[in-house]
Amino acid sequence: MSTQDSNGGPARVIPNWESCIDCGACEVACQRTWDLPPESDRIQVVAIEHGTDNETNKPMQCYNCAEAPCIDVCPTEALHYTDNGSVRVSGDKCIGCHYCGVGCPFGAPQFPDGEVPEAQESEPLGARGNGLMDKCTTCEPRQENDLEPACSSECPTDALLFGTPEELSEKLDEDNVSTPFNEESAQIIFGDDADEVMGD
Amino acid sequence: MPTEVTYGLPYDQWNWRIGVYIAMIGLAGGAYLTGYVADLLAEKRDSRQYGQVATFGYLVGLGGLAIGPPILLSHLAAPFRAMMIPLTMTNLGSWMSIGAYMLMGFGLGTTLMFLWLAFGTNRPHVQTLDSSNEVAADGGEDVAADGGPAKAATSDETAGGFRGAANKVGLMNLLDSIADYTRPSRRNRLVVGALFGIFAAGVLVYSAMAYGSGSTERVALWDPTFLLPVQILTGLGAGLTIAVGLAALAERDVGRPIQNCSLGAAGLLAGGLVAVLATLFLLPEQIPEAQPAVDNLTSAYALEFVGIALVGGLLLPIVLSIAGTLGVRRDALSDSGAVGAYVAAAALVVAGKLALALSYLMAAEFTPMPLPV
Ligand code: SF4
Ligand code: SF4
Repeated sequence: MSTQDSNGGPARVIPNWESCIDCGACEVACQRTWDLPPESDRIQVVAIEHGTDNETNKPMQCYNCAEAPCIDVCPTEALHYTDNGSVRVSGDKCIGCHYCGVGCPFGAPQFPDGEVPEAQESEPLGARGNGLMDKCTTCEPRQENDLEPACSSECPTDALLFGTPEELSEKLDEDNVSTPFNEESAQIIFGDDADEVMGD
Repeated sequence: MPTEVTYGLPYDQWNWRIGVYIAMIGLAGGAYLTGYVADLLAEKRDSRQYGQVATFGYLVGLGGLAIGPPILLSHLAAPFRAMMIPLTMTNLGSWMSIGAYMLMGFGLGTTLMFLWLAFGTNRPHVQTLDSSNEVAADGGEDVAADGGPAKAATSDETAGGFRGAANKVGLMNLLDSIADYTRPSRRNRLVVGALFGIFAAGVLVYSAMAYGSGSTERVALWDPTFLLPVQILTGLGAGLTIAVGLAALAERDVGRPIQNCSLGAAGLLAGGLVAVLATLFLLPEQIPEAQPAVDNLTSAYALEFVGIALVGGLLLPIVLSIAGTLGVRRDALSDSGAVGAYVAAAALVVAGKLALALSYLMAAEFTPMPLPV
């Protein structure tokens, strides 16, 4: 397992869709671990090929993009890169304009209305409520304790992979599966490391 | 195999308030710019009626600002934090920050230009003792209904209206003093107005870019190449139509300058209509992903888009503006009939601009990002 301090880009959670059985354990793990308001979906099982016979549900969350569109559009710089390249939101800077919600291609930004004390708005791991932007933090505090993010550690089928781009590439190779991303999204998520994760 | 992920549509996140905000700032920016052109013409041709259109243009700019941004603030989760704009909007790569600073400059500009035209003993373009169609150069006494000091010997309805309201709340002397004290020379006032016009133009551009611009541009309907002309032309046209309607109502008479402005408004609205039609017919050709949203405009949101925005808010005002002018010129319509046509056109463009902004918001769909599974 990698942590935020690893070399080779920030550690991220990405889905291995072929293993997902749509059990929702990741959603429950995330909500329970961080005591999130019920409307919050830091990880969300979304519909793929919606409305067709092939409809299926897969987990999506913030990928802490290397070329994050949400950071580009955020007027207040509430969204920013941390020193290790992860994307964080400062609850005490966000104005709740939803611009990042429109800019993010992955539907990651959440704006839960749940009341949280003012003090928690300024914690570095998101606002968690009050209509301000909230998103996955790749469980930074758990990583500091050498633990994987709650979603990937509780996924019964290893459908959520966690690691640096290099490690993700290795895991995908081991499972003999491709990433769930096309070239455009891989470039947004992994930046210069996109080729490494995408493989040939 | 490529597949699609379905997320919430933009209107799940941005509700009607964003549409009202975009419509209001668009027509405010357009009213300022067209008002400024009328201001130049008033100066060049010594025409009081162009001055009236200019005054109302600046007033509509103020009105749009009084309505739009507060409605946007009411949509934000932290409106008071957002009001500290100079401190919070620090990312100048974001159109929302750019727009916030544009709106601030524009707010200052439209306030000053309106103040300088509507208040003070030496205000430009005011009705004179000698002529109802010349620019005042004297310091005559006001005999307007409000009883405040002014230079019009005959009734100056516009100034009477503004000044009457200011008089009622006991602010007229203060506003007159501020206007006289701050107003630059004629030439410099117009130079300052042109500089503020840059902010007004920026607001017009921002009214298009506010629709979710960003590096990924995932809403094909909001493609700037098509949306910019729509927002700029409908903003200019709607702003001028409202200024003309209000000026005609205040004058209760439509002289050549108001008629000319009305024809200009009709031309700008016609340009806006062409830009919208180009979006309908050419955008899906250029960007196939826009087809579903364009279909939404003409089916699910046909009432708002075709009925209120295109027919009610563009086509009918064009017809009314032209008919009002031609009717008076050919003696087929009384002045009061033309005033009625201009006022009706103004009311319709407000409804149309709101419907246009809302339908662009509601009909939009995120372009699904194809994800190979
Ligand atoms: S997934 Fe969305 S919210 Fe997360 S970093 Fe990328 S653009 Fe931002
Ligand atoms: S909602 Fe908050 S984080 Fe998102 S763009 Fe607006 S200010 Fe930035």
